[in-house]
Amino acid sequence: MTSQPLEEGQVSSRSDGTILEACDLTKSYRLGSRDVEALRGVSLKVRRGEFVALMGPSGSGKSTLLQLLGGLDRPTSGEVVLDGQVISRLGDAQATRLRREKTGFVFQFFNLIPLLDVYENVALPFTIAGEDPRRGDAAARIRDVLEILDLVGREHNRPDQLSAGEQQRVALARALVSRPAILLADEPTGNLDYASGGEILDELWRSCDELGQTIVLVTHDARAAAQADRVLVVGDGKIRDEIELGRRTDRRAGPLIARLAQLGL
Amino acid sequence: MRRLSSLAWRSLSARSVRSFLTIAGVALGVAVLFASLTAGATMDAAVDRAAADEMGRAVLRVQALEERGLSSVAVRAAEQAVGVSVAAPALERKTYLAASPNQTASASLPAPVTVLGIDPGREFALHDMPLASGRLLTATDGQSVLISETMAAQERLGVGDSLSLNGTVAAGPQSFQIVGIVQGDAPVPDAGGRLVFVPLASAQALFGTTGVTRVDLGAQVGISVEALTDQLEKAITSEPYLLSRQADLAGSLRTEMADFRSALLLVAAVVLFAGAFLIFNTLSMTVSERAREVGLLRAAGTTRSQVMSIIMLQALFLGAAGSALGALVGVSVAGLSLSWVQSTGPIALTAPAVSAGSIAIAIVVGLLVTLAASLEPAWRASRIPPVEALHRGPAGMVAGPARLRWLFLVFGVLGVAALAIWPGGSGGSVGAGGSAGGSGMWGPLAVYGLLFLTVLLVPLLLGPLLLVAGIPFRIFRNEERLARSSLARDPSRTTLTAGALVVGLAMVVALGTAAENVRKTGTAWLAETIPGSEVLTSIRPVSTTDPVRAELAAIPGVKSISPIGLFGVPYQGLRQEAAAIVGRDYLADGRLVFVSDGGDRTAALTALDAGGSVVLPESLADQDGIQVGDELTFATGPSSTRLRVAGIVAHSIPSGSEEAILVGWSDATDQFGVAGADFYAVRYAPGQESSSRAALDAAATQYAFEPNSLDRVQGTVGDALDRIFRLLDGLALIAVLVAGLGLVNTYSMSVLERVREIGVLRATGMTSRQVWGMVVMEAGLLGIFGSVVGALVGLIAGALLVGWSSGGFGLAFEPPWVSIAVAVVFGVLVSIVASIYPAGLASRLSIVRALQHE
Repeated sequence: MTSQPLEEGQVSSRSDGTILEACDLTKSYRLGSRDVEALRGVSLKVRRGEFVALMGPSGSGKSTLLQLLGGLDRPTSGEVVLDGQVISRLGDAQATRLRREKTGFVFQFFNLIPLLDVYENVALPFTIAGEDPRRGDAAARIRDVLEILDLVGREHNRPDQLSAGEQQRVALARALVSRPAILLADEPTGNLDYASGGEILDELWRSCDELGQTIVLVTHDARAAAQADRVLVVGDGKIRDEIELGRRTDRRAGPLIARLAQLGL
Repeated sequence: MRRLSSLAWRSLSARSVRSFLTIAGVALGVAVLFASLTAGATMDAAVDRAAADEMGRAVLRVQALEERGLSSVAVRAAEQAVGVSVAAPALERKTYLAASPNQTASASLPAPVTVLGIDPGREFALHDMPLASGRLLTATDGQSVLISETMAAQERLGVGDSLSLNGTVAAGPQSFQIVGIVQGDAPVPDAGGRLVFVPLASAQALFGTTGVTRVDLGAQVGISVEALTDQLEKAITSEPYLLSRQADLAGSLRTEMADFRSALLLVAAVVLFAGAFLIFNTLSMTVSERAREVGLLRAAGTTRSQVMSIIMLQALFLGAAGSALGALVGVSVAGLSLSWVQSTGPIALTAPAVSAGSIAIAIVVGLLVTLAASLEPAWRASRIPPVEALHRGPAGMVAGPARLRWLFLVFGVLGVAALAIWPGGSGGSVGAGGSAGGSGMWGPLAVYGLLFLTVLLVPLLLGPLLLVAGIPFRIFRNEERLARSSLARDPSRTTLTAGALVVGLAMVVALGTAAENVRKTGTAWLAETIPGSEVLTSIRPVSTTDPVRAELAAIPGVKSISPIGLFGVPYQGLRQEAAAIVGRDYLADGRLVFVSDGGDRTAALTALDAGGSVVLPESLADQDGIQVGDELTFATGPSSTRLRVAGIVAHSIPSGSEEAILVGWSDATDQFGVAGADFYAVRYAPGQESSSRAALDAAATQYAFEPNSLDRVQGTVGDALDRIFRLLDGLALIAVLVAGLGLVNTYSMSVLERVREIGVLRATGMTSRQVWGMVVMEAGLLGIFGSVVGALVGLIAGALLVGWSSGGFGLAFEPPWVSIAVAVVFGVLVSIVASIYPAGLASRLSIVRALQHE
C-alpha cells in the first residue's frame, strides 16, 4: 500500500467523522519454522462515538487486529490511522505518546499493577505522563471516573483485595480516565462471571452512549457483541461480514444471534 | 539418581546466564579464599627460607645488644664455649657507595647498601654462598668484595670492577675490587638485595670499630641447642647479648604478618559470605519459577526427599564448577596479591606456594558453603504442596522472614572453617607467632559477627531507608514509586541481595577505617614525641661529638638540632627498645606529655641530661607496675646498670613495634655503648622554616643525611600501610563484585516476574526509556541503601579492628572519608551497572508478548 491514498484518507477521515482507519493490514508471525499469517488484508473504518465489536472464533485474528489498531504492535504491511495520525509509521516513542494520549486498553485478565492501590492504578496514565494525579484536572477526572464506575470507597484497596468484577471496573476506569479518543477492549468479560460481565458491558455501553466514547471491543461472545452499533465478523485473518445493529436501548443478544445464524456463523 | 541429576542439570541449563553468574560468584569467593591460603603459605615458606638463609647451618646466633657490638672478648668466649664447632663473627653496617668523580651531585640520596664484614673461612662453613660468577672471598683477601647479583644488576657491576664504599668520616671512602657475585638477593632480609661482603678486618677498619654485630654458631655433633645455650650463658659474661634460634627469627617475622593474614582470611570469609547469598538467591528463584513443575513432579509421585535432592544437586553442580574455577582463578589472584605484598615488605617472596592442601581446603569450603546455602531453598521446594503449586504458581512462593534461618548455617560453616584454617590455629611450626595469631583472631571474628548481625537487621531497615533513599529520585515520581514497591515485593530476596552488598561495602569501609586510624595514630605519635618539624636521618650513627651537628645548627633560622639515638637495652632478659635524647631540647620545645602521676616535667628532663635516670612510656610503666622514683636494672655486662625512673610520659618515641625507654645521652654512650645519633630532629625559629629549609637540606645531604619533613616521615609510614590496606580493599571489592552478580540475578528475576505489568505500563503509555529508568532506579535505590548501611556498619567494624590491633598505640577514631566515598560510589555504580542488562530486557519487551505472558 502506498502512502498517497492514505494521505487522502486522512483528510477524509476528519471530514466524515472517521477516528480510526485500517487499510489493507497484514500481519505474519514466524512460529517455529513456518510463517503464520494472522491478518490477510484487513481494511475498516471506525467513526467517532461509534461502538464496534470484532467477533470471531479463537485464532481468527481479532486480537491481533486490535493490537495493531491500538499501536501495540506494527503491521507487516498496511497502515493504521488514528485521529489523523498514521500510527503504524511512528517510531516507538511517538507511538507510545499517541497511545498515552489517544487510547485506553481493557484486557481480559485485568492487568492491574498489584503493588499499586485502586487510586494509583486508575491514576497511572497521569503519573506516566508526569502529572500529579492528586491535584487539579487529573484529580477531578479520577474522582469522576471512580464515581461513574462505583469505586468510591475502594480507592486504597490493592487489587488482591477486590473481586474480579471490581478489578475489571478499575481497569476500565484506568482506560477511561484520560478520556481517550478510542477505547480498545480485548475480551473484557472473558474472565468474569455472568453478572460481573453484564455490569462491565453496561458500563461500556453507557460510556459510549452518554459520554460519546468510541469503543472497539473484541469478543467471541454474542451477548457482548450485541452492545455494539456495528459488528465486524473476523475469520481466517479477514473481515468476513459486517452487521449494522445501530444504537438502541434494547441490547438483547437474540437478534444478533439470529443474524449470525443467517450468515451461517 | 541419574534421572534426578538430569532434571537438575536441565534446570540449570535452562537459565544459563543465571547459572553462569552464580558459578562466577562462587568462583570469586573460592579464588579469594585460595589466594588467602596460598599467600599465607607462601609467606610462611618465605619466612622459613629467609630465616634459614640468614642462619644457614648455624644453630644459634649471638646478637649484640649494644651499639658498639660484641667485643673480641665475647667473641672469643663464644668460640671457646663447650660444644661450639664453628663461630662465625660478622659486622653489619649500612652505608652508601661513594660517588664517582664524574657523577653529578643529586638532591636525593641513592639507595644505601648493606655491608657485611665476614671471616670468610668460618662464614662459608656455616653459610652456603652460591656464586653467579667469580670466586668466594678467602682469608688472604684484603680490599676484595663479593656482591649480590641484584646489586650487580642495579649498579651494572661485574667481576673485576671496583667499587668505593663510604666509611666513617675519618676513614673516608675506600675502594674494593669485586671478586665474585653471589646469586640472587643474598641472605640479609632488610638489605633489599643490595649486599656487599667484605673481609671482617676491612669492614672494621672502614667503620672504625673493633666489635661485631653477631656471631653465628655451629654445634658439634651430639650437642643440643639447649645444651649449647646453657654453655654460652656461662661463657659470655662480659656484656649483654641476645641468643636466637632459626625458629625465633621465623617466629618474630611471622608475628609481624599475623594481622595481615588474619585480615586476608576475614576478607575471604566475607567474599564467600556474599557468594552464599548469590547461591541462595539463585536457587530460591529457581524454586519460585519452577513451583508448578515441582507441583507436577510431586503429583506424579516424586517424594519430598527426591525434590530436595534435585535442588541440592543443582547446588552441587554450581558449587563444584564454581570451586574448580575459583581454584584456577585463585592462582592468579594469589600471584597478584603476593607481588603487591612483595613491593611493601623486605621479605623476598617467590612464586605462589600452590599446594594440594590449599586447593582441597578452598574447594571443600566452597562446596560446604554452597550446600549450606542450598538447604533452605531445597527444603522449601520439598514442602510445595502439589495442588497449591499447580493453582498458585510463582505468586504463592513469596516467603517470609523464616528464610533467613539458613544464614546461621552459612555463618556457622564459614566460622568453623575459618577457625580450622586460622594461621597458627592448626599447630605446626609457628613458634613465637602462634600466640599472636591466636589473639589476632578475635578482632576479625567480631567483625564477621557484626556483619552477620547487620544482615539479620536489614529487613527492619529496608522500608524506612528505601523511603529516604528514594528522595533523590522523587522527580521521577512514578518510576520511583514503582521501583520502591518492586523492591518491597519480595523483602526476603531484597534483604539477601542488599545484604551481600552491605557486607562487601562494610568490609571496604572497615579496612579504610583501620588504615586511616593506623596512619592518624602514627602521625599523632610522631608529632607528640619528636622535637621538631624535620628529621635528618643517617644510615649509620653519627657521633654526638661530630662537628656536623654544630655546623647544621649554625645555619640561619635553625633553632636546634636535637640528636636522637635508637638502641636496644637488655631489660628483664629481653631486648627493650630505648632512645637517647637531649632533655633540654624537649624542655625548650614542649613535646612529651607527662601523665598526671608521671613526675615533674622539668625535673625529669633535666635529670635525663644529668645521667642516672630514665623516662618511661606509660604502657611499659603500667605493664610492670613501675612508678616514678623506682629503679630499673639493665644487664649491661658483668656489672648491671641501675637507673632511676624520673618521669612517665603518655607516649614515647616509637621504635620497632614498641615504645622506647628514654635515656639521657651520657648514660646512652657510657652505660649502653651507643655510638651516635640515628637521626636529628630539626627545629626552626618561628617563621623561618620555609626560608631556611633549602639551605639545611642541601647541607644535610652533603653529609649523607636524608632530610625529611615530619609529614613525609609520617607519609612514608602511612604509604607502606596504605599499600597493604589497598590490597585488602581490592579483595574486599571482590565481595562487592560478587554482590553485583547477585544484583544482576535479582533484577533479572524482578523483570521476569513483572513482564505482564511492564506490558500494561507500556500499553498505557510508558515509554521504553521510562521502563528502563524504572529498573535502573530500582538499582539506584538498592545501591544507596546498601552503601549507606554498608558505610555505617563498616565504620563500626573498622573501630573494632582498630581497637583490636592498635595495642598500646591507642585509638584515634577518624572516619575514612575517602573509603566511604569509594564504597558509596562503587556500591551505587555496581548496583546500577548490574541493572543495565535486566533494564534493557525490560525496555525491549514486546508489548503484545508481555501482555500474553503467564
